[in-house]
Amino acid sequence: MLKAFYLRLALSNIRRNRKTFFPYILTTAIISGVFLLIGGLMLSDGLANIPTGATATMLFNFGLVVFGIFAFFFMIYINNFLIGRRKREFGLYGILGLEKRHVARVLVWENLLTLGAGVICGIIIALVFGRLLFLVLIKMIRAVPGSVFYIAPSAYTIMLVLFLSIFVITSLLNLRQVRVSSPIELMSSEKKGEKDSKLMIPITILGAICLGAAYYYAWSIVQPGTALGVFFLLAILVIIATHILFTSGSIATLRALRANKRLYYKPRNFIAISGMFQRMRQNAKSLATICVLSTMLIVTVAGTLSLYLGQEEMLSGMHPYDINVRIGKDAEEQAVRDFESAIMVLAQENGVTLSADKNKLTYQEPDELLNRNNYVSPDAKWVDTPNLIYFDGGMRFDVDGSDETCLAFVSSLRTLTSRTFPDNRPFVSDIFSARQEGYALYGGLLFLGAFFGILFLAVTVLIIYFKQISEGYEDKTQFVILQKVGMDDKQVKATINRQVLWVFFIPLGMTNVHMVFASKIMARMLQTFMLYDWGLVLSCIGGVCAVFVLLYLTVYRLTAKIYYRIVKW
Amino acid sequence: MELLKVSNVKKIYNMKLRMQQCVALNHVSFDVSEGEFVAIMGPSGSGKTTLLNIIASLDRATEGDVMLDGKSFSSIRDRELSEFRRKHLGFVFQDFNLLDTFSLKDNILLPLVLSQTPIAEMERRIVPVAKMLGIEKLLAKYPYEVSGGEKQRAAVARAVITEPRLILADEPTGALDSKSSANLLGNFHALNIEGKTILMVTHSAFAASYASRVLFIRDGEIFSQIYRGDNDNHAFFERIVANLSVLSDGGADIA
Repeated sequence: MLKAFYLRLALSNIRRNRKTFFPYILTTAIISGVFLLIGGLMLSDGLANIPTGATATMLFNFGLVVFGIFAFFFMIYINNFLIGRRKREFGLYGILGLEKRHVARVLVWENLLTLGAGVICGIIIALVFGRLLFLVLIKMIRAVPGSVFYIAPSAYTIMLVLFLSIFVITSLLNLRQVRVSSPIELMSSEKKGEKDSKLMIPITILGAICLGAAYYYAWSIVQPGTALGVFFLLAILVIIATHILFTSGSIATLRALRANKRLYYKPRNFIAISGMFQRMRQNAKSLATICVLSTMLIVTVAGTLSLYLGQEEMLSGMHPYDINVRIGKDAEEQAVRDFESAIMVLAQENGVTLSADKNKLTYQEPDELLNRNNYVSPDAKWVDTPNLIYFDGGMRFDVDGSDETCLAFVSSLRTLTSRTFPDNRPFVSDIFSARQEGYALYGGLLFLGAFFGILFLAVTVLIIYFKQISEGYEDKTQFVILQKVGMDDKQVKATINRQVLWVFFIPLGMTNVHMVFASKIMARMLQTFMLYDWGLVLSCIGGVCAVFVLLYLTVYRLTAKIYYRIVKW
Repeated sequence: MELLKVSNVKKIYNMKLRMQQCVALNHVSFDVSEGEFVAIMGPSGSGKTTLLNIIASLDRATEGDVMLDGKSFSSIRDRELSEFRRKHLGFVFQDFNLLDTFSLKDNILLPLVLSQTPIAEMERRIVPVAKMLGIEKLLAKYPYEVSGGEKQRAAVARAVITEPRLILADEPTGALDSKSSANLLGNFHALNIEGKTILMVTHSAFAASYASRVLFIRDGEIFSQIYRGDNDNHAFFERIVANLSVLSDGGADIA
């Protein structure tokens, strides 16, 4: 009976605050659904049956763990963000006579209901869209037909365990929020003005130095190996610097602007600068988070997209000739010639045609990382063969035929080679199996990248949405006062609009600056994957940035409508 | 000389849900001379605030007109209203309406900044105003750092710094304790002696007893008015209370 009371109160709270709860549930649904999908793909043997599935499964394994960690912290972050806004409400409950433990019960119910609803929706999403996404994945990794989609039961278990732990942690955090303070404190918590730290300027300078150093270092790295090693370190440095610059840096800048009286006491700037003070004090942290998330999103998606699109480039870079059969430098000339004719016969049996274009040979020394099979060293040991090219223990040639026949040819070539030269530890390196491996690896990576993109995007959109709502309520009172003091409503609208635009476009601008400096180190990093095509990497980054900006603008436009509905001028 | 002339003002609200009309003000006419301190009293719902909003040019009358310094409000275009308000009227509100984003000083300077006053001029003007209101030491503080009485004095400073022709106060003591109220009313009195014209809407007989004339309004019409004459505050207060009891004979409730 009494239990039902708390449940009902929680339900009516959710209904009343559906403006905030609904998006929260939706985000939970997206995160849990995506998590379930990755887990399902990883644990089901639908993918493992595929020849290339091993690479993909391993990748998904790793992806799932990272995704789980991100999801965990995001959910906690969003929860804290929301609960911080409701302090007044808890204060009111206290005044109305609800004891703290009663409020606590209501909160636990709310949490259970929202997370529960989110997870259930997530399962539905996974079941509905899963098959479609699975087909996309199969296509991307070019798996052979016959893979079946189903979500392994253990994936449900893992997902439920993850969200159960999120539930426990967020509930505990929420309870602490209610427990620590008295009703009066809770009621007045929203109005407190914040004092600026005295260390603000030194901290800002530190942040600027951090960012500058990270940018400089990222820009000046030449060695691909080093780039890969320091990238995460630099990323952390940039994240810290972003937070510092958004929090202390923005306030320090505004202070400097305010100190300039000629600038400050102009009607336009007067309202804008002081308004921005308030906004930055309240929003700096979430704006910095938006910026960091957006940057992560673009880096992940652009990086995986570059690899996926750059595959042919990487393949032909590594394999100027489709096949290089290495049979050891000390093979007899006659043995080599016999081997060549054996290969020609094998080709005919498999229905493929072989060719070897000598024009592709080069004397130009390749980069240290590249071991191109068309490089001829000056002291190369040649054996003249009528059809194919042989020097320095490698038989090189191109194959023409359908993917499947080529793969079949390669596999019989392998058997032939090891039978012919059992003592030389022969090795067939070919573009066809490399391509198959590549599509599995980079297709899987892109798929994961897209999933992470969805995760980052969902959280970013949610934060933007909540910002719009809270800004709306605050601006409403400001708008009324300014009008009473003698500003006409057009002026007020214009100045508030401008501030809101600033608040939303500073993170976007910063993200793009980050991306400019990240582009070079990203290109260097991708070189370790043999991707040397700068143009491709840059256009991927540019393209993803452009799409993201469009997406951001759309989200802004849509959420701005809610904002105007609240302000209603 | 008549500074403000309210002639035959009528205000009708159209109720949204019921197809009914609500008459908030009906044939209200009165004048305020330069240098007067007029209080308007009346029960809740009598139309005081509507009247003040019309005089403040925040709202337009359905019929009749308001003239300030011989200039008719109906002749001012909507676009020019806010500038007119800024130049000729000073406002004090019950809930202060200070912006938390500004220090007290900047709150006070706000109307001057909006009318693009030179910095030197602003700095010059704020000194005597702040001194008179006793807030010169608080100028650097923010609204959330000072008491209600101090906030209201800052709001008064903001109202008078533009040297308006008329100061409008809407329940200025409504959110203040008795000591701060007395203090603020003392400030109003001092301003009035300096020659400022003040029109104040209030519930409180004590606040009204600082005025030189009190208008009583009921159900949207002027019910009666009394002048201070030679009365001191106390005697005037007694008369106001006596008048209020007459006003509430009809069952209206006065605080």
